[in-house]
Amino acid sequence: MPFPILRTRPEVLSEIISLLEPNEIVTASFCSKNVKRLLKGYYKQSEPLEWRLFMTNYDAMGGVSIETSKDGGQKTVIAAKHISVLKGRELEDTNGFLRGFSQEHPVLYFNDRVLGTKLIVDYVTDLFNLDVHGLIIDINGIWAIDWIHNRREKTLESFEFYMNHKYNSNADEALDYVLRNTHVSHYCAIGDNVSDDFKFDGKLGPMKQLYISSKGHWVTCDNLKNFDCRDIGIQGSRLSVQDLNSFLRHWRAGGSSRMEWLHLNFEEHTFQEKFDEDLEVVKTDEERVYRSSCDGWERVFNGGYSIQRADGAKAMIQCNLGRFVMAVWH
Amino acid sequence: MSSTEQGTSSAAPAEPTTAPESAAAPEVPESFYYVHGKDKVVHKVSAGALQHSALIHGMISNLGYTEEQAKANPFPFENIDGDILQMVVDWCNQHKGKPTPPEDTNLPKQKEKLFDLVLAVNYLEIKELLTYCCKQVAMMVKGKSPEEIREIWMIPTDAEDEAAEKEAKKRAGKEAAGETAAAAGDAK
Repeated sequence: MPFPILRTRPEVLSEIISLLEPNEIVTASFCSKNVKRLLKGYYKQSEPLEWRLFMTNYDAMGGVSIETSKDGGQKTVIAAKHISVLKGRELEDTNGFLRGFSQEHPVLYFNDRVLGTKLIVDYVTDLFNLDVHGLIIDINGIWAIDWIHNRREKTLESFEFYMNHKYNSNADEALDYVLRNTHVSHYCAIGDNVSDDFKFDGKLGPMKQLYISSKGHWVTCDNLKNFDCRDIGIQGSRLSVQDLNSFLRHWRAGGSSRMEWLHLNFEEHTFQEKFDEDLEVVKTDEERVYRSSCDGWERVFNGGYSIQRADGAKAMIQCNLGRFVMAVWH
Repeated sequence: MSSTEQGTSSAAPAEPTTAPESAAAPEVPESFYYVHGKDKVVHKVSAGALQHSALIHGMISNLGYTEEQAKANPFPFENIDGDILQMVVDWCNQHKGKPTPPEDTNLPKQKEKLFDLVLAVNYLEIKELLTYCCKQVAMMVKGKSPEEIREIWMIPTDAEDEAAEKEAKKRAGKEAAGETAAAAGDAK
């Protein structure tokens, strides 16, 4: 049964809009110019949204997704694809766009997908009066780093660079570019297929969380010392006990002073806990709860090792053949 | 649930049947008021149930009517269809003195009446019921394409909007011309 929404009073219309999901808002904005204007006006006048807007460029598809405060999950609100994927299927030209609809969001088709991706990001940020919070890309989305930095006044809050199994190419050059050129304040996740020889001699941070989700073999002791992050997680690490002794010495002397959490999962499960005497690492039965200042999760330490810095800050370490975890209480 | 009967807007209504009381009778006798819609059918509703409506609550809080006065002066809502007012009264009775649940299963089911219900509920300022109704309106477009949404929400296309705008301009122009001609005629 139809409901003539535009004949309702403004306060009713506002109530209905407030109950719609972001993807439904974007879809509705394509109903007519009038509706788009109305929705845009609503978000211009309303309180700043607590939603987080992510630009994605993954798997040959541009997209915009939004994370609402409801469940923390991201939902795609619009996508941009290359026109070739239509494979001859004809779509009607609507206001200059070839538009389809799939999985609860509009899909626009472009001859130039990069341009199309930029266009949909501009469209959604303008509609919701909301800036891009995070960028999620694979090796083919490197172009987006400079574009996003140029269009934002503030540093990007979140950045994720992931491996795409469709492309087996070596990501050394791309990762080097990513590490040198991405400026992010909160969360940075890295995971692509770099070669055994990959080296990085720059610095990272300051940022809250750095997570190297795979192929973390390239992170050297010097890299670790130069990461200015509160929370560091590395998968596939090749750091040795000598490296970690060196890192702990650096930490005791006041290095990596912002670090609160370090979690290494080793590539080979051969790590031997053999700490140098000068570090004064002592075995302990102490039980302590670590609470992340970044996102509030908790981890209980039931014994392990304890170590103290010159300024009095204490840390606990738990390790075994496959992992090394260090939590710092400032 | 209130019963209804035919009344007139000008004359005092005949005695309506009362709404059933809850098992535990209140110590202080509950006051009742009377409302009618376009169809002039009078509904006897308790002040407790009417508290859901900010509009009616505001109207009665300053009246200090006796039962007789309230009976003689039903609130007329001539802009609300009788069946819609019945739905609203039923909902108010069902939710009298109860905290409103996040999801309401007692919502009127007739989708074809939803638009009129929204207008009435908004007019009567029944916040919770308005939110429930708006949730239903929002649910209508879940998973729908722009074209389907346009149909469900009766949204004109850009071409229709442009045509309507042109028509409105033309009409305004004609009216202005008519007024000018009339003014010139008056001057002669």
